[in-house]
Amino acid sequence: EATSNLRPTAREKMSLKSERRGIHVDQSELLCKKGCGYYGNPAWQGFCSKCWREEYHKARQKQIQEDWELAERLQREEEEAFASSQSSQGAQSLTFSKFEEKKTNEKTRKVTTVKKFFSASSRVGSKKEIQEAKAPSPSINRQTSIETDRVSKEFIEFLKTFHKTGQEIYKQTKMFLESMHYKRDLSIEEQSECTQDFYQTVAERMQTRGKVPPERVEKIMDQIEKYIMTRLYKYVFCPETTDDEKKDLAIQKRIRALHWVTPQMLCVPVNEEIPEVSDMVVKAITDIIEMDSKRVPRDKLACITKCSKHIFNAIKVTKNEPASADDFLPTLIYIVLKGNPPRLQSNIQYITRFCNPSRLMTGEDGYYFTNLCCAVAFIEKLDAQSLNLSQEDFDRYMSGQTSPRKQESENWSPDACLGVKQMYKNLDLLSQLNERQERIMNEAKKLEKDLIDWTDGIAKEVQDIVEKYPLEIKPPNQSLAAIDSENVENDKLPPPLQPQVYAG
Amino acid sequence: MAAAGGGGAAAARAYSFKVVLLGEGCVGKTSLVLRYCENKFNDKHITTLQASFLTKKLNIGGKRVNLAIWDTAGQERFHALGPIYYRDSNGAILVYDITDEDSFQKVKNWVKELRKMLGNEICLCIVGNKIDLEKERHVSIQEAESYAESVGAKHYHTSAKQNKGIEELFLDLCKRMIETAQVDERAKGNGSSQPGATRRGVQIIDDEPQAQSGGGGCCSSG
Repeated sequence: EATSNLRPTAREKMSLKSERRGIHVDQSELLCKKGCGYYGNPAWQGFCSKCWREEYHKARQKQIQEDWELAERLQREEEEAFASSQSSQGAQSLTFSKFEEKKTNEKTRKVTTVKKFFSASSRVGSKKEIQEAKAPSPSINRQTSIETDRVSKEFIEFLKTFHKTGQEIYKQTKMFLESMHYKRDLSIEEQSECTQDFYQTVAERMQTRGKVPPERVEKIMDQIEKYIMTRLYKYVFCPETTDDEKKDLAIQKRIRALHWVTPQMLCVPVNEEIPEVSDMVVKAITDIIEMDSKRVPRDKLACITKCSKHIFNAIKVTKNEPASADDFLPTLIYIVLKGNPPRLQSNIQYITRFCNPSRLMTGEDGYYFTNLCCAVAFIEKLDAQSLNLSQEDFDRYMSGQTSPRKQESENWSPDACLGVKQMYKNLDLLSQLNERQERIMNEAKKLEKDLIDWTDGIAKEVQDIVEKYPLEIKPPNQSLAAIDSENVENDKLPPPLQPQVYAG
Repeated sequence: MAAAGGGGAAAARAYSFKVVLLGEGCVGKTSLVLRYCENKFNDKHITTLQASFLTKKLNIGGKRVNLAIWDTAGQERFHALGPIYYRDSNGAILVYDITDEDSFQKVKNWVKELRKMLGNEICLCIVGNKIDLEKERHVSIQEAESYAESVGAKHYHTSAKQNKGIEELFLDLCKRMIETAQVDERAKGNGSSQPGATRRGVQIIDDEPQAQSGGGGCCSSG
């Protein structure tokens, strides 16, 4: 209330300023519709700030009253459903349809779960419509998707374990969702404020009134966040009233323009040539891209955390020591540049506005989220100096005239996929091999020639020597039998002994 | 939040503090926190995956404290991102290398910025690390200490290598942050309760009952 009272006065000042600038405005058009004599303002439907406050207050009171009535009715209904669900155990359908469910016999229950699921949800929808038609408040056309149905079911199942407190929480959550429906026209900041207030009051009530231990409060808060944000996502993610989309496109364009940034320029302490590391880099990129597909802020945060863990692993494998922020931030920037995650700004804004603040402020997830914000801020403001480049080089790369890789005489583009890069590498290797092969062939031929020359040389040398010192072999002039022919005194030797036979 | 209920009930509660770690590249920030949270130094077998976000649970005179230590990228090119990091922090540890005059100048820059952004709410600690290299000292003790005093910060001498002065640094910082939080609480208790105001400030939450309650000193766990 206090804030809504303050805001019109601030706006009043602004509008007065703008009216002074405007010239062609009829005096009567400017006055308050109620005729109090003060100036009115189209932003307050033609009332002056004071009358508008009164009107607005009345309408709000009425609306609050209606919200209460609706909530109480829902609560009654819920209690009935709750009671009936405890009597019939094992039934899988939503609590709303318990009565119908009971009437159906066993055979119809055996239809496939998918069918059953749809029939249950459609019944819920129709019942809601009837009920809202009767209600004095304007009806809410809640489109039930499979996911929201599943989440509601899980939420109710989860709360059942908390009995009375669970019922109380369900009632409050329902009430909040109803009230948010009426606040759709408010600015996104106000809607965010309401959601944050809701988180705070619910958590507080659980602790003080419900005497729920803190770790359980945290669990319940996670479930509440999941439940309400699955439903609100459609209306509060990248809303038309903000320039979130414009910012998304701007950062996307910026990242595309920076495609030439190399890990070396950012001093990224990750060596992608190690297969394990490049694998983790790919995983980190996948995680950060996946963030956009989640609806619940906490799930989006979990994607950032997963991405960060992969980055830490990559650093750890490369450097073999625990990563500090000095290592982590540049790598995260590199991952964001490589991945160009969709709707980056919208996702950051959405998490900031609608995440349970206790998680965002102090926890580990909050730390990684802050780093992501830093990475985006860095990318937005990045200049020649922050990459250690000269202004001329930076300008040339930005305009696409040259690419830093080309200067390094590598003939493939930095964007080429891994396969193509590998191919180029292999081609390079092959040509090197070819060169070596040729060299070896040449060497071999040379060796062969050398060998031939050598044998020829030797033969020639031998020939020369032979010619120089011809070998004369004199034929033998005495036979071997006359070996002792020169012995002159042979005749003087006694005759050789004759063999004698001895008898006996 | 329940904090508005008054300081008396605070005994059963735990304080959650965010502390940012600032300092140039090679001043030993990482070694400092790893020594404090894991009692490790340059260990080749460190299983810790990262040293950029670490937590520590303390018990100071019966008051439970959950400390979250946020490391920040110290490179010059990331200097402008500082405010994103130290938003909502209760304390800041500014580390310089006593052998590196330049790193002390950087600390001075950060101090200016922190005071500008967060005023006097934040507890500042200026830390001269690597006192094991006393022989190569380039930043005079007197200069550093008188500077710290002039900006309302406290000065500490540490060595992550020899595990000197680190426990004292964190213990002292926690005590100061508790004091600041208590003053804050009392101020809020006196004034009308403002919902939403506490949300962005100090988070005071009930601690899990299983937390140990050591006598006087501080007991550490993960």
